[in-house]
Amino acid sequence: MRNSRDQRRPPSRRHPDRRLVAAMMLFYFSAFLLIALKGELRWQGFALAVAVPALIYIATLWLPRFFPADKLLLAIANFLCALGVLVLYSTDLDAGTSRGLQQAIYYSFGIVAMLICILLVRYVRHWKFLIQIIMVGAAGLLVLPLAIGTEQNGATNWIHFAGTSVQPSELVKIALLLILSYYMSRRQFWVWLLFALFCLGVLMLQKDLGTALIYYATTLFLFYASTGNLPLTGVGLLGGAGAAVLGYEMFAHVKKRVAVWQNPWLYYETSGYQIAQMLMAIASGGLFGVGLGLGAPRVIPVYFTDCIFAVICEQFGIVFGILVLVMYGILIVRGTSIATSARHSFYALLAMGATVMLGIQTFVIIGGVLKLIPLTGVTMPFVSYGGTSLISCMGLIGLLQGVASLNQDDLEYDYEISHSLGEELRLPRADRD
Amino acid sequence: MKQLRTRFRLLTLFVIGLLLVAGLYGVYSVTIYGSRWFSNSKNTRYQNAKSSVIAGDIMDRNGVVLATTDAEGDRVYQSNLNARSAIVHLIGDRDGNVANGVDSFEANYLLGFETSLSERVAALLKGETRRGDDITLTADSKLCTRIVSDFENGSKTKGKSGAAVVMNYKTGEVLALVSLPVFDPQNITADDQQNPLHPFWNRALQSTLAPGSTFKIITASSALENVPGISTYLFTCTGATQVLDQTIHDYKMAQHGSLTLEKAFTVSCNNAFAQCALKLGDAALRKTAEDFGFNDNFLFRDFVVENSVYPTTNRNLVEIAWSGAGQSQIGATPLHMCMVAAAIANDGVMMEPRLLARVQSPAGVVRLRYSQKVYRTAVPANIAAIVQGYMKNVVTSGTGTAAQVSGLTIAGKTGSAEASVNNEAVTHAWFVGYIADDSLPYACAVLVESGDSGGGVAAPIAGDIFQYLKDTYGK
Repeated sequence: MRNSRDQRRPPSRRHPDRRLVAAMMLFYFSAFLLIALKGELRWQGFALAVAVPALIYIATLWLPRFFPADKLLLAIANFLCALGVLVLYSTDLDAGTSRGLQQAIYYSFGIVAMLICILLVRYVRHWKFLIQIIMVGAAGLLVLPLAIGTEQNGATNWIHFAGTSVQPSELVKIALLLILSYYMSRRQFWVWLLFALFCLGVLMLQKDLGTALIYYATTLFLFYASTGNLPLTGVGLLGGAGAAVLGYEMFAHVKKRVAVWQNPWLYYETSGYQIAQMLMAIASGGLFGVGLGLGAPRVIPVYFTDCIFAVICEQFGIVFGILVLVMYGILIVRGTSIATSARHSFYALLAMGATVMLGIQTFVIIGGVLKLIPLTGVTMPFVSYGGTSLISCMGLIGLLQGVASLNQDDLEYDYEISHSLGEELRLPRADRD
Repeated sequence: MKQLRTRFRLLTLFVIGLLLVAGLYGVYSVTIYGSRWFSNSKNTRYQNAKSSVIAGDIMDRNGVVLATTDAEGDRVYQSNLNARSAIVHLIGDRDGNVANGVDSFEANYLLGFETSLSERVAALLKGETRRGDDITLTADSKLCTRIVSDFENGSKTKGKSGAAVVMNYKTGEVLALVSLPVFDPQNITADDQQNPLHPFWNRALQSTLAPGSTFKIITASSALENVPGISTYLFTCTGATQVLDQTIHDYKMAQHGSLTLEKAFTVSCNNAFAQCALKLGDAALRKTAEDFGFNDNFLFRDFVVENSVYPTTNRNLVEIAWSGAGQSQIGATPLHMCMVAAAIANDGVMMEPRLLARVQSPAGVVRLRYSQKVYRTAVPANIAAIVQGYMKNVVTSGTGTAAQVSGLTIAGKTGSAEASVNNEAVTHAWFVGYIADDSLPYACAVLVESGDSGGGVAAPIAGDIFQYLKDTYGK
């Protein structure tokens, strides 16, 4: 009864995104080549001109051969990762740093992390024991910086071992999502609440307020999504607002951040320097930017992580900056569509959590750079320099892709059943809760 | 599950909404404030651009070259020390001490950031170093030099800080904008840096001070607009009006007896204007002040001006009474007070002050031509006409007689604003006024800090400015 293999497949498993990916690869190939040929010849530029498109190819066209995937989502995430490599490499010029190359290596780690998360979601069927292990492991990992961590930019959230430094709170994000969605889908209220409160407490102790904000917002939003309980969500919101006011009163550096946000020029010589420099960079870029590899990005403190959006705006212009925002928007819309097509509330919540987390983090950092909200030290997803951050963001994409592949399997299952029954193709959305 | 999906979509809408707000805010702030951020003297970018682009020249309205670039790429100002010092706050200095001078604020033109791609390619093919655009200002550097010498040679103004602004009240062209003390932009000394009067500070744009009695222009406009029969009402001035537990007194404790608004304006009677402000109430007076641009966010194309303030908090009767005479936390810059006088002169229409007469590329492409712009309508023309009469009286027979120029009808208002500097009570001398002549449509504001009497110290300088304008631009 079966027709040929291709006809059996739902249309979304073909490759409508090949042209898009080809354009992306060409864009990055020529961009790296442009920098490599600027002034003197740079071997790093040539290497990256080949390596980055190759990584894009592997992640967006080659990997999906083995399981169904949402390719638009993949393409956007990879575009952003490669953008990070490009911008970092452009700031390396004549600076003696090699963050671009380093970020390309992190990018490949990120692809591996994504793959692991896809496999995890796709093939693990019995989560109960695994979740318990993850919970203990995550809790241990999160408190580690308090014991052996080092302080950076006022927050104690880094640990160093074997020559590398790791930010556990980034990795625990993935664990948090798994735990939240698992226990929320089973309506075991206290387990996830205690874990979330524990995480928030530890992050407060580490003074990592930006990450705490993301954890808090994700938990609250997922709680609302899973129960629809507006009164309790309101209580959570009030609690968060109370904590914010308390934090403002208690921590001097929070007060300073708010004052700087209101008028960075007043504090230009001290704490306002960073925001003022970012605003000047964005203004210098104008609508269409000063051009790749030009401008003066290195005058901005931490231009390679928190402030990288300002560097993008300077080099490519505010129009491109808005387009980057639009890409995050599309990413969120695709993530939601994956969440809404999931058949099981665990997977639905997992996908939604990953989406909301990326969205909130994007807003917190870009809003901070554009001086819409006070600047908090979080990374710009996929783009900022840093291995842990990139790995965790790609891990979130892995979770989304894992759910997407299960959705696709479900659809095919339905299709086969309806086909074997000789019925017309219908795509039912039966709940299997 | 269906409800779950609905809530997912709600959440997504919310998050997308947040990103949308961020994006819109970004575009908004870059379009509104971008040029101000960019031209900030702290921005090192355009200083870096100096190595690859030869900055364009700046000329005044008569073609005098105010700033040019020498072979080494350094900025060179006029050769005459007095001339280049007088206009330093308008142009800027080599080290970027003056905020938002033309040299830095218009860097996008001067350093060729507005050059189109085709022009850049053409320059590249010719193998020339790129040259920025040349700017012609509406300013008259001779007038600036004259004002500074008036300040420095006057026995009552010597060594004092202050500012003066001259503008065309019909078109908004700024002819002069000086801030005292001045300094040499090519040779900045340790004395300049340590001078307690802060010579780098552009007082005409950056210092908001109590406008004192010059604010009575606004109080009178407000009263004429809002209080019926005020022009015939008789105020009583005993030299001391009791409000709550405080006494409103007049400059030098003068007593004016029974007088009309017109007379009160002419002799600058604080008691009458305090009663006037109490009759008006805080809200009505604030409304008129805001019509004149107080509390507005000045975003003029060519100037970065500190905003003027009329307090918006609930205030007691003493404070309201003093507001009638431009005291109690009211603050305005000399440029803004010049605009206030100009608005009255221009029948209530306030023009936006402008400085760029023309921007031209080395290849002859005109990038910008002078265009005038109405900033706002401050008062109806009929009320402006009454206040014009009051202001003429001030110069013919009131406190501002020192501003008289033979052959010209001058209108004006003096001010002696009480303030405290380093916990010491001082009186700032103000004069704002204009030439009531369609062929010489010029208004000016003069401020002498700690100058004491507006009529005695600031008005003579204004008189000399009007004399210069008559000699230079009169038929």
